[in-house]
Amino acid sequence: MNKAPWVFLGVLFTLSLSWWAMVYGPALQLAGQSADKGDGTAVLPRVGLAKQGEQVYRENGCYYCHTRTATGGEFGYELRLSQLGGDREVTDEVLGAIISEGDENDRLINLAFEFKYVVTAKKALDDANKALTDAKEKTPELKDAVVVAKENLSNKTASFEKVNSDITGDITAQDEKDTILFRAYGLSGVEIKDKALMIQLGMGEQIIDEHRKIANEAIIKLTDGKAQWVDIEGMVRGLKTRAGAQFKLQPVAIDWPDVQNGVALRQSVTRDFMHDAHAMPGVMRLGPNLANAGGTTALADSNQFYVHLYQPRLINEKSAMPPYRYLFRKIKVNAGETSPKNALKIKGKDLVAGYAVIPTEKAEALFEFLKSLRTDALPEAPIVDNPKPADDQ
Amino acid sequence: MSESTDNIAPEATPEEINASCRWPVMFLFFSAALWLVKAAIIGVMGSVKLHMPEFLSDISFLTYGHLQANAWVAFLFGFGGNAGLGLTLWMLSRLRGAPLARPGFVIAGTVLWNVGVTAALVGITLGDQNGVAGLELPVYAGRVLLIGQAFIAFSAILTYFSRRHKQLYPSTWYLIGALVALPWIVGTAHWLLAAAPVRGAAQIPVGHWATTSLLQVWLGCLGLAAVLYFIPKIIGRELFSRQWAAFGFWMLLLLGGWVNLNSGSPLPVWQIKLSQFANGLFIFVVIAVGWNLRQTARGVPLLGSENLTLKFMGFAGGAWVVSGLFTFCNVFPEWNAILQFTYANTALRHLFAWGFFAMAMLGGIYYVAPRLLGADLDWPCGRTVRWVYRLIAVGVIIITLTGVGMAWGHGQALQQIGVDATTLQTKAIKPMRFAIFGEILFMVSSFIFLGSLLCLLSRNCCGELSPMALWRQIREAKIEGKTEGGAQ
Repeated sequence: MNKAPWVFLGVLFTLSLSWWAMVYGPALQLAGQSADKGDGTAVLPRVGLAKQGEQVYRENGCYYCHTRTATGGEFGYELRLSQLGGDREVTDEVLGAIISEGDENDRLINLAFEFKYVVTAKKALDDANKALTDAKEKTPELKDAVVVAKENLSNKTASFEKVNSDITGDITAQDEKDTILFRAYGLSGVEIKDKALMIQLGMGEQIIDEHRKIANEAIIKLTDGKAQWVDIEGMVRGLKTRAGAQFKLQPVAIDWPDVQNGVALRQSVTRDFMHDAHAMPGVMRLGPNLANAGGTTALADSNQFYVHLYQPRLINEKSAMPPYRYLFRKIKVNAGETSPKNALKIKGKDLVAGYAVIPTEKAEALFEFLKSLRTDALPEAPIVDNPKPADDQ
Repeated sequence: MSESTDNIAPEATPEEINASCRWPVMFLFFSAALWLVKAAIIGVMGSVKLHMPEFLSDISFLTYGHLQANAWVAFLFGFGGNAGLGLTLWMLSRLRGAPLARPGFVIAGTVLWNVGVTAALVGITLGDQNGVAGLELPVYAGRVLLIGQAFIAFSAILTYFSRRHKQLYPSTWYLIGALVALPWIVGTAHWLLAAAPVRGAAQIPVGHWATTSLLQVWLGCLGLAAVLYFIPKIIGRELFSRQWAAFGFWMLLLLGGWVNLNSGSPLPVWQIKLSQFANGLFIFVVIAVGWNLRQTARGVPLLGSENLTLKFMGFAGGAWVVSGLFTFCNVFPEWNAILQFTYANTALRHLFAWGFFAMAMLGGIYYVAPRLLGADLDWPCGRTVRWVYRLIAVGVIIITLTGVGMAWGHGQALQQIGVDATTLQTKAIKPMRFAIFGEILFMVSSFIFLGSLLCLLSRNCCGELSPMALWRQIREAKIEGKTEGGAQ
């Protein structure tokens, strides 16, 4: 510590540690980030006015009073079973205490498996018939196989009808019965095209759109949205690897202010900024958080936004936001003349009597930029369910 | 500060050193005082806009964002750069016992540096800032600043090597650290945020590293170098422990760039956790530096001292410790989650910038400036400069207490569900309603300091013909006249 060159080298080395971790590491990691969302779509860069708007946002230093960062929060998982696997016993074993014998979900799963059994029996009959048809020599074994398959299908169909009757027997409304039937059909994951069989199973000759929608959207909520990962990890792994079921893990806000206050639909992540020329996460929440500005109703009406930008206190008399009048042009409107279409209006009249206040290109660009700020779903940041108070009751 | 007599050139006298530093360092000090006034005025203008949204609202280059950015750049590079480099040169010369080498380079560097800061302010005003809050240097300004600093650093390096010492005093480590850190940080920010910006989200950690390093490492090294130099020097004691000083120095360099990353930043979790870990370790820096200072000045009431430089340094040391403790608090994610988007960060930056750094620099300038100008010269209005200390101290206390305390209420409201936007805005502005008084005090103190420096220069130039001396003569003549009249 008595030789400046050594101190100099030590300083270089020590500073380089934080530089590697906070500059080089992130730059390397985030430079290789893909825009692909994994579903055939991509995180798209801003173009046109929205791109120019980012510069307007920066030039005016908007990031001092507005953040674009939605923070994380406490959440639970709603485990949504959307399609059953093939093995009933393994499914029962994996779901364990979640499903009680005889409860609504258990009965739905029973019916779904009955669909599977019927379809399996139907396929066996079709195979047996095909084998008999294709065979040059119609042996007794082939004929017996057809008879056995027919009987099996008949048994399975009877079993299906019994289970269906047990479940829906007490229900009088047909639409409620149909709902249960098609939910089970959707959960089974099978497809029935044989019209006779469909009629026999009570599905009608053809599946109408309403019923197809019920089948497509059918899920069983295995947890209530408060379960933590440690609580459900075993079940999730069992459903995936052993039962072969299809499911979705839906995060549900428990204590997540940004989501529950409607600020954003999820937490902000790095890819929200990946195409930004200048990443501006923001300093203070003096004004609203803009992470999902484009997804809110505040920007649904451009006139409302421009009036707010021109004179915020016309929209909220306690607003601390300064007016940005220099982003507008004021044109004199003579008697008998009409204002341009894009002139700002308040209560149907020109904002300033005798003048048309028109947003400049910068104001329009800012509007487009704000509209582009959205917290749409990303694989690494799924949209978080925000349970309404009624759901809690 | 230990001396050696073996195989080294004879030590220059303080008078020789002061004479060599006189005009280059005074140029830096005077520039610093001017920029401090500008920074304070712009800061107050920005704050007024929050209370009166219509104030200057029709001028596109005077938005709150522009003013905040300009105020900070004026303080950081204008005041901080000039004052820090000025004290660096003087302390290096004194610690090495050698006159300042190549003062012409310093003057050229100072001109370039001030051109760079001016370019930065003009650029920000025109909307050329890079969008990284806290380090908004336009691309062209960064280059000029780097060249200017290179000129001044060249003189510092030559001064250092012009005479050998057996032992480096800890302040020299900090000064070397500051001289190395500045070009590295500004260079990184220049290339990766302005000239050839890295991709999107990567700018967030880069920007954070640069702004935090500038504050904690660059300003931290400059301020602590002054504190560790002046306190032992004035109270006439050796620094308590060289080992503690070394530990604090290396830990500060190691951790300075990692700390204070917001827990809600849209970044990979490992970076946020790493920053939290660094916040936790920062307590060792606070202990090492704080304990060393406490033991060195044991029994000496720094803030109650009659020596104004000691007061400045004592307050600076205390503010640095408090600021370090707030940094440590960020190890708790719950704490950070509440304060991260509130005024608290700005308030704590004021604590560090004004409470620690400005106090240390002004204390240093208060000690050095008269000595540079003449052996028997003192501040013309010594008592007036005391108001600089008092006003900044009160301002820092107001801003820190109200800024953090009331921002806590805002942060908690942000964490609640169902709080309406108007209430949130009211809670957000509340700490600023009080903090503006602190900023006004900063502004008044900066005016007083500039005025005092002008008086000092005028006394040096004009002696008994300086305005202050003439004013004093007039007053004395009046008093004598009254006394004679009364006697008759």
